[in-house]
Amino acid sequence: MTAQRLLNLYTGAFLLFMFGPLILMIITSVNDASPPSVTNWQGLTGKWYSFFWTDETRLRADPVLRSLDRDRFVGCFGNSLRVAAAVVPLSLLLGLAGAVFLTRWRSRANSLLWWVLLSPMLAPGIVLGLSALVFWGRLGINAGLFTIIMAQVTFVAGYPMLILMARLQRQPVELEEAALDLGATPLRVFTRITLPFLLPALASAAVISFLASMENYNTTMFAKGGSCTFATEIGAMGRNPNGHPPVINAVGTVIILLTVSATLAHTFLLRKEARD
Amino acid sequence: MRGKDVTLDGVSITYPNGFTAVHPTDLTVHAGEFFSILGPSGCGKTTILRAVSGFVEPTGGRILIGGDDQQGKTPNARPTALIFQNLALFPLMSVRDNVAFGLEARGISKRDRLAKAEELLALVALGDQGDKKPTELSGGQRQRVAIARALAVEPAVLLLDEPLSALDLKLRQHMRAELRAIQQKTGVTFIYITHDQGEALTMSDRIAVMNAGRIEQVGTGDEIYSSPTTAFAASFVGEVNQFPGRVSGLDGDMALIDTALGRMRGRNPRDLKPGDDAILFVRPENLGFETGAGLANQLDARLERRDLEGAFINLQMRAGQAGLPVAMHLTNTGAVPTIAPDATTRIGFTCDSALVLPDGPVARTGREEMAAQ
Repeated sequence: MTAQRLLNLYTGAFLLFMFGPLILMIITSVNDASPPSVTNWQGLTGKWYSFFWTDETRLRADPVLRSLDRDRFVGCFGNSLRVAAAVVPLSLLLGLAGAVFLTRWRSRANSLLWWVLLSPMLAPGIVLGLSALVFWGRLGINAGLFTIIMAQVTFVAGYPMLILMARLQRQPVELEEAALDLGATPLRVFTRITLPFLLPALASAAVISFLASMENYNTTMFAKGGSCTFATEIGAMGRNPNGHPPVINAVGTVIILLTVSATLAHTFLLRKEARD
Repeated sequence: MRGKDVTLDGVSITYPNGFTAVHPTDLTVHAGEFFSILGPSGCGKTTILRAVSGFVEPTGGRILIGGDDQQGKTPNARPTALIFQNLALFPLMSVRDNVAFGLEARGISKRDRLAKAEELLALVALGDQGDKKPTELSGGQRQRVAIARALAVEPAVLLLDEPLSALDLKLRQHMRAELRAIQQKTGVTFIYITHDQGEALTMSDRIAVMNAGRIEQVGTGDEIYSSPTTAFAASFVGEVNQFPGRVSGLDGDMALIDTALGRMRGRNPRDLKPGDDAILFVRPENLGFETGAGLANQLDARLERRDLEGAFINLQMRAGQAGLPVAMHLTNTGAVPTIAPDATTRIGFTCDSALVLPDGPVARTGREEMAAQ
């Protein structure tokens, strides 16, 4: 009985510490007080959200909002999308190649290769960002969106690889052998048999890679040079010594909603995959 | 469709880990023949099949199909089609697309390949199942889809890797007849891998008995069953009584062999000489009660168990001091004498029904298989 109560207490505390800050953040995102506060309730407002589309004059009238650089913020968000648009396909390609290689090409080097390919996921993000910065700098390429993409791909590619490997291991090799035996070229075997089988896994791998790229901070921070992404810009605003503007809380709320829907979509895809 | 002959010319296969799955083997399968390779699991029969289909490259020797050396040819370039043990039907495609896949790979137009698929589905009596997914079919139907899919590419040689092993007994027996009929209708050379002697005996024109990477004997079912040439072939195909001993003399075509149950006589097809270690084999159905007919070989046996099979009565007996197991199958004519348990009876067999073969490895009995697993 006591053990059960302790477990309940622990679970309750766990959930509280995990979701408490998020709930507070959502509350502050609709409170007309800056810096964000829940205790100092100034009434309900949507202006931290409408910041992104209100016209200039009303923006300049607001004491908090007028100090913010909206164009830069939106520009950084655009950069993030651009980075993700490159990182996701690159990671899927690399992850797919690695997964096919590790599951279909049995060699003694496989386990070593597995570790080599996955080590960027375990390495500190700072190291990845810094090494990308140094490496591409040596080649004469200045830090910017390109180095961000390269640094992110090194570790994001691991997610698709793991997801696709799990799926490929469930497909009997005989299916591919049968297709080959019936006269198909290896390319046709891949496009007609392997790829259709992988589609649901590719979709979930794309979702996860996109989220990993969008939210990445530490690797991006070191590789970004003078450019910015959504995550680094929020980080910069959050470091304001006078307290950050609640606009960030509004953005955070939107991200949570998006993440939850993406997770639900992912779960849905996984279920569909399990049914097929 | 036309079958082609398959020749293994000194083919040996050693895996990278050093295990020799197939020792140098010469074998010719005639065009249009239903040929079975029969052997226990791990004897190398599947490896031979994979070498013919191109998934394994022989370490030594050549494989010829219709006279053409297949060396260096990938599976998609060989005139063979393989039916996998698990069938390997494409789960995301309809039955019709499965059957048409090989034609699609050859660039045949959609209309032509679907027409051909319909034709083949009709051949295997699945004409109305084309729209279904393979998972919606029964085991026997899936079996036939795999056959239709393999036949669609008009192979000269169809390779079958124990395709019936997943089916239940009734269906298996039915599929044997169907496979045989399809083979005769199409004239394609079938090479059929199995560990089930019943399948091999009922379907095949010829059978190769294989053990430990070597082909022990090649012959028709009758030859393999009635005139095995090695101890393994004799013991693996059908039930058989074994009396090991040493050849003590020759008498024309017959050899005399001293066994734990005394001196026995049997045919000597391998020309054994006195002093050779040998085993005398005799089928349980060739044993009978000694009723004064003067059977050449006689022994006293104690009844251990009587199993009524229906058409047959199987008697499990023990003979001699060592209690050697002896099995006896009697046709149930209604006039089989009843013998009391533990009663000793004099039984025997003619020398023509017994074979004296060189001592060698014998197949494991069912009990040994169980113990090994």
